[in-house]
Amino acid sequence: MSKLGQVVEAVEKYNQFVLDQVKRARSDEKFGRELIHRWNETKAKTPVTQTPTGLPLPRLALPEIDEPGEIARYLFGEGLPGEFPFLNGAYREMYLEPVREIESASYGKKTLASGAKQKVDGNGARPPEEPTRLFSGLMLAEDTNERFHYLTQHQRTHRLSTAFDGPTLYGIDSDADGVFGKIGEGGVAIDTVEDMTRLYDGFDLGSPNFSASMTISGPAPIIMAMYIAAAKRRFGSKVVPKLRGTIQADIFKEVQAQNETIFPIEASLRFLTDMVEFTTREMPRWYPISISGYHIGEAGSTPVQQAAYTLSNGFAYAEMFAARGIPVDQFGPRLSFFLDCGLDAEYIALARVSRRVWAIGMRDAFNAGPRGQLFKLHTQTSGRSLIAAEFKNNLTRTAAELMLAYMNATNSCHSNSADEPFTTPSEEWIRLAAHGQAILLEESGIFKHTMNMLSGSPGMKAVERAVERAILDEFREIERLGGVLAAVEDRFQRSQIQNAAHRYEQQIYDGTRPIIGLNRYRNGTDDIPEVKLARTPRKKQQLQVDRLAKFKKKNAEKSKRALDKLAAVAESGKNCFPALLDAVEVCSLGQITGRLQEVVGRFRPMV
Amino acid sequence: MTSPIRILTAVPICDGHDSAINTINLEFIRHGIEVIYLGYHRSVGDIVRAAIQEDVRAIGISSYNGGHIEFFAEVVDLLRKRGASDIKVFGGGGGTITHDDAVTMRRKGVDQIFFAGTSLAEMTDYVRKNYGKLRKPQSRAKSWDIELAWKLTEIEDGLAKSKRSTSKKAIGNRQSAIRNANVIGFTGPGGAGKTTLIDELVLRFLNQNRKERIAILSHDPSVVGEGALLGDRATMINSQNDRVFMRSMATRGQAGGLSPATHDCLALLARSNFDYVIIETVGTGQEAMPFRKDGIVDQTVLVMNPDYGSQLQLQKIVMLDLADIVVVNKSDLQRARTAHSEIEQRLEQNRRDQRLIDTVAKRHRNPGVDRLFDLICRSERSRRGKAGNQS
Repeated sequence: MSKLGQVVEAVEKYNQFVLDQVKRARSDEKFGRELIHRWNETKAKTPVTQTPTGLPLPRLALPEIDEPGEIARYLFGEGLPGEFPFLNGAYREMYLEPVREIESASYGKKTLASGAKQKVDGNGARPPEEPTRLFSGLMLAEDTNERFHYLTQHQRTHRLSTAFDGPTLYGIDSDADGVFGKIGEGGVAIDTVEDMTRLYDGFDLGSPNFSASMTISGPAPIIMAMYIAAAKRRFGSKVVPKLRGTIQADIFKEVQAQNETIFPIEASLRFLTDMVEFTTREMPRWYPISISGYHIGEAGSTPVQQAAYTLSNGFAYAEMFAARGIPVDQFGPRLSFFLDCGLDAEYIALARVSRRVWAIGMRDAFNAGPRGQLFKLHTQTSGRSLIAAEFKNNLTRTAAELMLAYMNATNSCHSNSADEPFTTPSEEWIRLAAHGQAILLEESGIFKHTMNMLSGSPGMKAVERAVERAILDEFREIERLGGVLAAVEDRFQRSQIQNAAHRYEQQIYDGTRPIIGLNRYRNGTDDIPEVKLARTPRKKQQLQVDRLAKFKKKNAEKSKRALDKLAAVAESGKNCFPALLDAVEVCSLGQITGRLQEVVGRFRPMV
Repeated sequence: MTSPIRILTAVPICDGHDSAINTINLEFIRHGIEVIYLGYHRSVGDIVRAAIQEDVRAIGISSYNGGHIEFFAEVVDLLRKRGASDIKVFGGGGGTITHDDAVTMRRKGVDQIFFAGTSLAEMTDYVRKNYGKLRKPQSRAKSWDIELAWKLTEIEDGLAKSKRSTSKKAIGNRQSAIRNANVIGFTGPGGAGKTTLIDELVLRFLNQNRKERIAILSHDPSVVGEGALLGDRATMINSQNDRVFMRSMATRGQAGGLSPATHDCLALLARSNFDYVIIETVGTGQEAMPFRKDGIVDQTVLVMNPDYGSQLQLQKIVMLDLADIVVVNKSDLQRARTAHSEIEQRLEQNRRDQRLIDTVAKRHRNPGVDRLFDLICRSERSRRGKAGNQS
């Protein structure tokens, strides 16, 4: 049985354990009393906050139950926020504003110094950080850098999320045949360590208030090496252990859905593991992989497929890293997740269930400690749900999705801009997208006063049960095919996703899936509104090509030696990452990709 | 009955958005269109080369990652440069291509851009109406590969029109044909990895010699209702090369792994200027005997999957009697060792000089594939030697 089979067993066993605890609470009087005591104490200790209108509210809402069996069902089956199995949240408090000073018997001795920032994320001594993340990347490094500065001007913490252009995502250079026109389109063009240095210019890469997220998978180890090299150039090598951020590096989902794979699967996984081995040791604050369902969802999967494939991919990575000899408590806490949030009913609880399955699987099948059990989640609203026709409706779609995302207690979130169906988002619509989150979290009282404000409705529970069952069924199917890697090579996930995508399109065309403004309540005109398009001018594209030529000329001799050394390490089967760190100093992304492909081959697409 | 429309579809370089094109491909084939699908992340050169070799009527490009104005224009320009401007270009990109962009693109020679919300039926109708008419009689092909592609179409469509072969004239007298190429036939059950294996061999042919030219005749089944999705090119990454002429054929209703026109097309390719001609059947059943014993195919390779079922099943596979080389691909699978010894036993019964080789075609530089390559080259040299002695 593969690890995935063990995970299925673990979840089944855990569910049985919960039922046993319910029974025991009802039959074992002492146990029942203990539970009631704990329950009452939790309630009593819950601070009370005050809304602007003067209404007192507890900072944690709990169900109105007093029967030991039901209390057991809640505490073991769901867990308080921040407690195993984390159904209600990875942390004790999220999104909550500092307690307003009111008289509160239950808040006890602690009084707040007026104006002091209060820790609310249960996550150490740092001030609360905004969960808002805005994905951005356009034209050349200096243009994206300017956008980053614009986006973060009012933020306490600088959390940059970077989109790369097509050539970079495919590991090729801006001077490659036939890519002119694609340079800086849909993301930033990065060819060399010099571009990487320009990209984050002016930001303090070693600061606890800074983190960089890089959405790239196929060439991720090379880009990661460039980021480290760029940081060292500006801050010296002391900065390396302080670097914070995330690189996507999710190979499985690329093969399953997003098609940005450049090396054969096994080689890609090896380079990934090389990188993870390095970062978990040398960069303890870095997330070297973001296990992503987003692209699976966007490629057309059902929500259940999205969660099931993402989780099973995660367990497969965990199995791989453990097999390399990286301790689970070293890599476990450095895994993070990324899910899509659309408008289907499953999204009411999809991330909640995912968090629970992950925690149980990691604890019971992988022996992970508490930090390695956390499903740390970044959510993005669904790009696929947005359409060009009457595009301002996209604001409403995104708002509803944001609501669902925060109901699932996501740790961070990106809201899409309404103009996404036609272009790289423009500043006006980006601002509205960010404001959408601020309105929900800061202006409205839905999330800022009370944890669990909307958790645990009968409908949500019904969705949870149905979704968990369906996820386990998917796991069993993958297990039957020989585990995740075998299923991937068999195109299982890929064809399932394509089938679902096809069904979705059919539903739109036959009207059984209403899309307002498209197949229902059409206003008759099909015109895409005039929006300002962010296109990379030819002059800029040429500038990038020229800069690259200069870099290659300057390093012509050194790059040859570095590539030979890299190829030799790749042949030897040893960890390639240190050689990559050297290579990026003098080689371009395309040169490195090309040389590695000579050794391990190119990815053969699956159709 | 008219011949099916053949079109090529692809997603541009640095773009992996294949969800839309996958849906559209299925819709096209359901309406009788033969779609040669080149896959995603494909360069202008790959697209134009494939369109010419496949002699399609039009190229459909699905672009979601920007740069479409340049990319579409480059396709149109390169077609013109290669003398193939009768191949039309259309496409779409959801909301990423604006109406203004589309105006520019049409001015640059693109036929049609479909916007978000266009129904599948509308696209299919457009293709059938605009690319369904017979091509006007051509005066002269502008290059050898265009000429070859046209001749192959004549053969294929000649058969499609009247079941009996009208192709003899088109391909000339077979007897007098000068044979240049070594013709290697690949067959075997679906999913055994024939396509990957061939592509790995092609890489070795190309690397071994800087001049050798290869032709590939690849087959995919037609679905009921006449259309076909011809997708081998998408996975044959090494075969998209100027020294490789590849043609994808649909079986058009014929059972047994080949098309009614295969034989004549193969004969034409064999006496065209190639060093190797490789023919790949569709996935075949146990009783299949796709290659005729009339000498066009010099070597036959049967590619097996280790998961063929019980040992008894092996007795029923006719090609095990006929193949010159039997390959057990995916020999990294658990069952491979058993498969090897069972097939070895089965071949011993034949008392012929058949060779058995284990490969893992999906692995780069796999030693098993190297051995297969050597064996093919060696047989080729000995064949040439014999031919020399006879003359």
